[in-house]
Amino acid sequence: MAAVETREQVAALGENYKYGFVTDIEMERAPKGLSEGTVRYISAKKGEPEWMLEWRLGAYRRWRQMREPNWARVHYEPIDYENAYYYAAPKSSGDGPKSLDEIDPKLIETYNKLGIPLHEQMLLAGVAVDAVFDSVSVATTFKAKLSEAGVIFCPISEAIRDYPELVKQYLGSVVPVTDNFFATLNSAVFSDGSFVYVPKGVRCPMELSTYFRINAQGTGQFERTLIIADEGAYVSYLEGCTAPKRDENQLHAAVVELVALEGAEIKYSTVQNWYPGDEQGKGGIYNFVTKRGDCRGARSKISWTQVETGSAITWKYPSCILRGDDSVGEFYSIAIANHFQQADTGTKMHHLGKNTRSRIISKGISAGRAQNTYRGLVSVHPRSSNARNYTQCDSLLIGGKCGAHTVPYIESRNRSARIEHEATTSKIAEDQLFYCLSRGIPQDEAVSLIVNGFCREVLQQLPMEFAVEAQKLVGISLEGSVG
Amino acid sequence: MSALVLPNRRVEDWKYSDLRNAIEPAAVESAPTAEWRVDVSGAVEQSPLPEIMPHGRHGEMGVVAAARATSGVFLHIGKGERGTAHLELVTAGHGRTLIVVEDGAMLTLREAAAFGDFANIAFDVVLGVNAQLDHIREAAAHNDAVRVSDYSIRLAQGAAYRAHFADFGAKLSRTELHIALEGEGAEAHLSGVSVLGDTGHADVTTHITHAVGNTQSTQLFKLIAGGKSRGVYQGKISVAEGANGSDSRQTAKGLLLGERAEIDLKPELEILADDVQCAHGAAVGDLDPESLFYLRSRGVPESEARALLMRAFLEDAVAEIADETIRADVWSRVEAALAELSA
Repeated sequence: MAAVETREQVAALGENYKYGFVTDIEMERAPKGLSEGTVRYISAKKGEPEWMLEWRLGAYRRWRQMREPNWARVHYEPIDYENAYYYAAPKSSGDGPKSLDEIDPKLIETYNKLGIPLHEQMLLAGVAVDAVFDSVSVATTFKAKLSEAGVIFCPISEAIRDYPELVKQYLGSVVPVTDNFFATLNSAVFSDGSFVYVPKGVRCPMELSTYFRINAQGTGQFERTLIIADEGAYVSYLEGCTAPKRDENQLHAAVVELVALEGAEIKYSTVQNWYPGDEQGKGGIYNFVTKRGDCRGARSKISWTQVETGSAITWKYPSCILRGDDSVGEFYSIAIANHFQQADTGTKMHHLGKNTRSRIISKGISAGRAQNTYRGLVSVHPRSSNARNYTQCDSLLIGGKCGAHTVPYIESRNRSARIEHEATTSKIAEDQLFYCLSRGIPQDEAVSLIVNGFCREVLQQLPMEFAVEAQKLVGISLEGSVG
Repeated sequence: MSALVLPNRRVEDWKYSDLRNAIEPAAVESAPTAEWRVDVSGAVEQSPLPEIMPHGRHGEMGVVAAARATSGVFLHIGKGERGTAHLELVTAGHGRTLIVVEDGAMLTLREAAAFGDFANIAFDVVLGVNAQLDHIREAAAHNDAVRVSDYSIRLAQGAAYRAHFADFGAKLSRTELHIALEGEGAEAHLSGVSVLGDTGHADVTTHITHAVGNTQSTQLFKLIAGGKSRGVYQGKISVAEGANGSDSRQTAKGLLLGERAEIDLKPELEILADDVQCAHGAAVGDLDPESLFYLRSRGVPESEARALLMRAFLEDAVAEIADETIRADVWSRVEAALAELSA
């Protein structure tokens, strides 16, 4: 079914990339290039207090002295940081919309094309959407219901204004300003993103969701997300991405920080389907993201689930610092790379506290001429007695021109810790494919079916509405890769 | 001339073995050329190194050794012949060794690693069509020594390389293997044990390249780290584009016994062909409490039960040694090292 529907859609659009379109909206840009002036411009545009500006400038100065990392298995033309825009905002959002009716109808149209009608989602799915269109959040829904529960869910620029103490306390506490080249760049020029604070003992009444979307040509997007679950709190956060099609490579360097205090749990799910470049490897998004969660309190839990099908280059390692005793970290990942895509992704589990547990399930799929790398670290600190890790890393190769690579690091410094790692690499079994074909299932659909089976353990971790979308995506991403 | 920069923890391949921390560059630069005692039997011929050496891949220190050693050992065994050789380093320093096993020949090579402060040896091994080399290396405990052995091994069609590395630790002990399976049907089977106590260190770093299809490699390494020791295994498997039918298995397991010991494992797969079977497994932990409980519930005292389980842990790796006499020798050294660990 899914494959048939997909083929129709693709035919209708006359494109392989379902979400390839550009909405023409007058943009307000920062001057081209990166300087202290750019940083000041962004900060002033956001009406930020002095301390925030200083924080940004500190990051900017540090970034000037840093070198771009080159250890990942990805290759791309050097990025000209002086030839990009670092801020773009839809002009119509100057005063900020009070309701959906005030939103530029063109934006609504864009969302409709993306298949995320805000109204429907609000009413049917019960999902509060903090939709990010380029850099400024344009719609925040269900605020009332959330504030009733005491949950703060707002654009980070608002949080800097309204909750400076919380932001000061937590921003940069998981991913320090000086963490790495791209995170430092983000710290200097981040334009927007989401802020979530779930107070003590509160179970967030709904799944929180932000749709990111890169729109203006030649602007990088630098999202900053900060999620804090106070003692005993629970929150599930969904992040989904699509981007319009164009030839120019676009840099995206986001930072996501999660803080789980004692007994808290954060579930963070991502479906990333940005423009991967065309079949010749031209264009596509550079996705250089730093995501890290800190299980700061005892018995806290952070769970990352990601479905990575898009972007020309993915450089992303959602990690957990298991600081609190008995804390738990999880990483479930599907990374699909087709055509000329390059993905270097994985996780780090730092076991610091006692009785900490982590679980890593990674499924990498390579097709076309793509390169897909799992890179991960499990490290057990001497103090972390009875730490436990299980890692499973499977790679699937479709065609003889692609590559699948696995680079797990295991470092144990505590004798009572137990770490287990397993990895396999194989191709789609001929007999499975033959079985499907002999029963009249078309090839593309058969591949989609087999690959979905291969990924099942990860797909199961996604919230329901995401799981459906992700299953379709798996099929779309691999269309035409066999035969 | 700028001073020699030694590989250190900032160099990815030397992340867990910081040579700069273990020895002064001056000591490396001033090290003499190594000297060997060589015993051969059968059809093995021994001669000085030829002027033109095979072009094998070496790691950073192997390149240094090859450049600095002024002489070395060349062992050669002709087509279809058989023989054994026993290599023992008598003077430490930079060394160079070439071993050529011609088509259809079979060589058993036993090697004892160096004593002395610093040894850095580059080995070049070339196996002809259907040639076989059984290689056993024992490196006794020597916690003041720094020793690096860098092997470049090239295998032609149908050739087989079987090797076992038993390392009992040094201040820094690095065994680095670059194995190229260049002909169809070539196979490499590696196994090894590192039994470390006190402040010992042992690092086995392998890189096996399946350059063509229908090649096979297996690896089984077991590490025990007591005291404040550090055991390291890094294993990279590369399958080249089009090398279909490659089969590669890799297992590395570590047993941490010391409160301040550390084990680092980094198995790595780099696969560029789709019709392959590749798998690796790695695990680190203490002795299985359930097995211990089982033995104790049957009246085996704890210390004995632990010793038994440690022997069981290492046994399958040592069992890979084909030659019975050598296997018994290696096993007795393993037993002695275990006894010392338990003491």
